[in-house]
Amino acid sequence: MAQDMPDFSNVQDDSSSTAAKPDFSNVQGGSSSTATKIYEVVSGDSLSKIARREYGNANEWRRIYEANQDIVKDPDKIYPGQKLNIPPL
Amino acid sequence: MHKIYVVALLAALTLALNACGKKEEAPQVQAPTAAPAPVPAPSTAGVTVLSITLGNAIGADKQVTQVTDSFGKKDTIYASVNTTGAGTTPLKAKWTYRTNGQETLVNEASQTIAPTGAASNEFHISKPDGWPSGNYQVEIFVADKSAGTKTFTVM
Repeated sequence: MAQDMPDFSNVQDDSSSTAAKPDFSNVQGGSSSTATKIYEVVSGDSLSKIARREYGNANEWRRIYEANQDIVKDPDKIYPGQKLNIPPL
Repeated sequence: MHKIYVVALLAALTLALNACGKKEEAPQVQAPTAAPAPVPAPSTAGVTVLSITLGNAIGADKQVTQVTDSFGKKDTIYASVNTTGAGTTPLKAKWTYRTNGQETLVNEASQTIAPTGAASNEFHISKPDGWPSGNYQVEIFVADKSAGTKTFTVM
């Protein structure tokens, strides 16, 4: 007499890890140097914006302007692709 | 009279030979003039990393003031990178989370520096809602070549 085979067709696999993948999307990073830095202008930049990003103070734009007077004749006109010297504070 | 001609002829011949001899002298070698020094091209090979130091505060000189490799969840984490040499080169920091056998990119930041000698550089990261506990690493690259790593933990 043949014995009935057990039926496992409705077994459900509920395995999962309790370790959630960490989310680093809101990490804020930055950098600075005692050496002169080189910054390549991108569309939408202004000297004030660059000064705010590099020095934390938009009013320091003149420092960047004075360090780049050989290529920046008018502080209101900078162009994508220009490479500006960013002197250390 | 004939004797005088012979003497005069001999004198003329001697002068001519002397003159020829002078013409055959080796030309004076000009003192070598210094070639103009070539303008040094911007070099990335001249910049090397001397040290990488971690801490949770830095001074105006970009040096870590509180050295540690163990951080709290709300800390800003600083890596101070001292370099030597001159040139224009990108300096990059790659921060990764390395826990439970997994590696997750935390942040990458790059700055192009143009030092003329020894320089201090810093990279920093922060996370407003706090760092997950675990092991982390920062790797520093000069011109896309690894220049050293430091590991740290967040408790």
